[in-house]
Amino acid sequence: MKYCVETFDLTKNYGDFKAVDDLKMKIKNKSIFGFLGPNGAGKTTTIKMLTCLALPTTGTATVAGNDILKNPNEVRQKIGMIPQMVSLYGDLTVKENIQLCGDFYGVTRDLRDSRADELMEMVDIKYAENKPVSQLSGGMKQKASVVASLIHQPDILFLDEPTIGLDPTTKRVLWDMVEELNSEGRSIILCSHDMYEVELLCDDVGIINRGVLAAFDTPQGLKDTMINERKTEKTSRSSNITKIVEEIQKEASPKENASFNKIKDYIEKKNRDSMELSIMISNLDENIVNQLEKLPITYNITKQHSGRIVIEMEDSEESVTQIISSIIENNGNMTSISTKDPSLEDVFVRVTTKKEKVGEE
Amino acid sequence: MVETKKMMWMFKKDIMVLWRHKPRLIALILFPIIMITLFGYGMGGTLTNIPVVVVSQSNGPVTNATLNAIKSTSLYNVVNVINDPNKGKQMVMDGQVKAAIILPSNYDDMQSQTPKNVIIDADSSDQMATGALIPTTQALFSQISNQLGIQELQSMGLSSSAAQSSQIQVQSQTSSQLLSSPATTTSGGINFQNIVNSINFQINKLYGNISYIDFLVPGVLAMVVLFSCMFGMGESIAGERERGELARLFMTPTSITTIVGGKILSKLTIETGRAVILIVVAIILFGIVIAGSMLLTLLLLVLVALCFVGFGIMISARVSTQEDYMQMVQPITLPMMFMSGVFYPVETMPWIFQKIAYILPLTYANDALRAVMLKGVGIGAIWVDVVVLLGFTALFFGLGVRGFNRDV
Repeated sequence: MKYCVETFDLTKNYGDFKAVDDLKMKIKNKSIFGFLGPNGAGKTTTIKMLTCLALPTTGTATVAGNDILKNPNEVRQKIGMIPQMVSLYGDLTVKENIQLCGDFYGVTRDLRDSRADELMEMVDIKYAENKPVSQLSGGMKQKASVVASLIHQPDILFLDEPTIGLDPTTKRVLWDMVEELNSEGRSIILCSHDMYEVELLCDDVGIINRGVLAAFDTPQGLKDTMINERKTEKTSRSSNITKIVEEIQKEASPKENASFNKIKDYIEKKNRDSMELSIMISNLDENIVNQLEKLPITYNITKQHSGRIVIEMEDSEESVTQIISSIIENNGNMTSISTKDPSLEDVFVRVTTKKEKVGEE
Repeated sequence: MVETKKMMWMFKKDIMVLWRHKPRLIALILFPIIMITLFGYGMGGTLTNIPVVVVSQSNGPVTNATLNAIKSTSLYNVVNVINDPNKGKQMVMDGQVKAAIILPSNYDDMQSQTPKNVIIDADSSDQMATGALIPTTQALFSQISNQLGIQELQSMGLSSSAAQSSQIQVQSQTSSQLLSSPATTTSGGINFQNIVNSINFQINKLYGNISYIDFLVPGVLAMVVLFSCMFGMGESIAGERERGELARLFMTPTSITTIVGGKILSKLTIETGRAVILIVVAIILFGIVIAGSMLLTLLLLVLVALCFVGFGIMISARVSTQEDYMQMVQPITLPMMFMSGVFYPVETMPWIFQKIAYILPLTYANDALRAVMLKGVGIGAIWVDVVVLLGFTALFFGLGVRGFNRDV
């Protein structure tokens, strides 16, 4: 089986509102897939349909090789889900909840109890097995939910905002667990708003916006696409301005032509590959900025608060060396330096503010 | 497909949750006790010790015998015996007593040919007290009149005119009339001509001496089951759906029939337990007697519970919150309570309510329970009610399971 999830024009309408619109998506088997989207984009609705908790209006999908409409019980048997809202019975103990889930998945008693012990040890909740779930902290509830979701050893695990509200330590425990489960051969589908989490864990990322799949690639692939798109946009803008300057130049005097040529040079210079460097200088003064501006490789320098400057410059290693040397020569005290490559968050914002449909993988 | 093991888990889970929620458990047990106690004492009890004043304007053996008769009747609490009718009327209007029983000045005069008018000045603003006082007083004076007539016939020969001379007329006046008319006026009053005759009036109560509480208990039983099932299903399904607990079960390969079946099982067990408590409390506190089979009574209650659990499932099938559920259920349960003959016989209601009553399952539940508990009949006499209740149950479950929204 190449894909653990495959959707075919999956659509869900709530009245006139299209929550999910003709979704076509293929998620590789045994991968960790990050499913992103702004609030109300159709992410949770898609997950509900894939986990047979909601019926699609039209279209269908296969999950673990089974059609969600034709064989929903086979799908349910092969998936586990850690929902956004913890849905264990608060009045039952952790152990009772796990036993209930095990029995509802048809796991034999011996197997159920041995797996429960093993999983509780794994997520470090064994010591609280006899406590009612209502008395547990958010992190412990989430751990209990993980055990209940894994008791039947599902092939695919859906996680809907699993680390929301958790402390950093518990988050890391869950991330380790996700990686471990994936290394055991399980496919993981992770819905999250935590871009760091997605970037850290996921092999592929899909971004849904207004019910349609707006982007689908690896995290690095999405970032590269964004860089290329930015370059294309910049080139397009520059060539448009150059054309306008050339039109005006036709009727200009020789003296004016010289000035227009300078403008064209500047545009050309800006049109070349550029990058942004963010530097924090504790003793930033006008002299340092003036010296940097004189360098031929800098295009633009923006002073920000607390001694930070953002330098738009030629995209080359030599450029970085020249800038650092200039600051040191002028007795600048650098406390941090970073490039301004787009993050997954930048990709997310860019993709979700666009309206057009990207299509399938 | 129904999976027994999973259904038993649902049952076990609900009982465990109830056991661990002690306040909920206590409320569950107390609710039927409070209901039957309130209804029993508030609506089903017999009125006694109503304060009255007797205005006696004559002296003699008949007056004395009458006063003794009045004082020995538990309905009356004779606050005072006075001789001024106007003062008696004033005591009623001041709220010191509920009625003044005014004996005329010729009450002891056996030779008088003038009818003896006994007047009751009653506080009609208290409908309950007046409703009990007037018929009892009429009956009392009718009895006295008869006895006097018979005595006179025996002592003076068989002259009917002589007997008629001893007639006592009982005249009642309500307090609203008291405001506008003197105590001795007869206009607007009710005259009761007691005839000394040979007609014997015999009352045969076919199902024994049934009091209002006896009439009320079967209806209250059905009503408690109705409220408990309807409101209980709100917590059980809509509440669990709202808290996301049902989602956990829906994620598993389990049919809706199994989940609903488990809910029914636990609810039926709890309701049967509560019905037993209700019956025991009614027997202990009010001495009600179940004329028919106790087993049949319990089976009927189980059927009633099943019917209303079905109703609850039908409503909760598509709602997503407990609040929505309650908003939908309340406009149904309250009218059902008043229109299904719990408090008054359906036949005494306006025709439109009667028509509505016969499309409400609680009407059939009341009818069947009263027939078994009061008349002592068997299944043969209530089969129509049972069939209708089974029909309603099947309809509710059919619609409930069919419309059950698995979406979470």
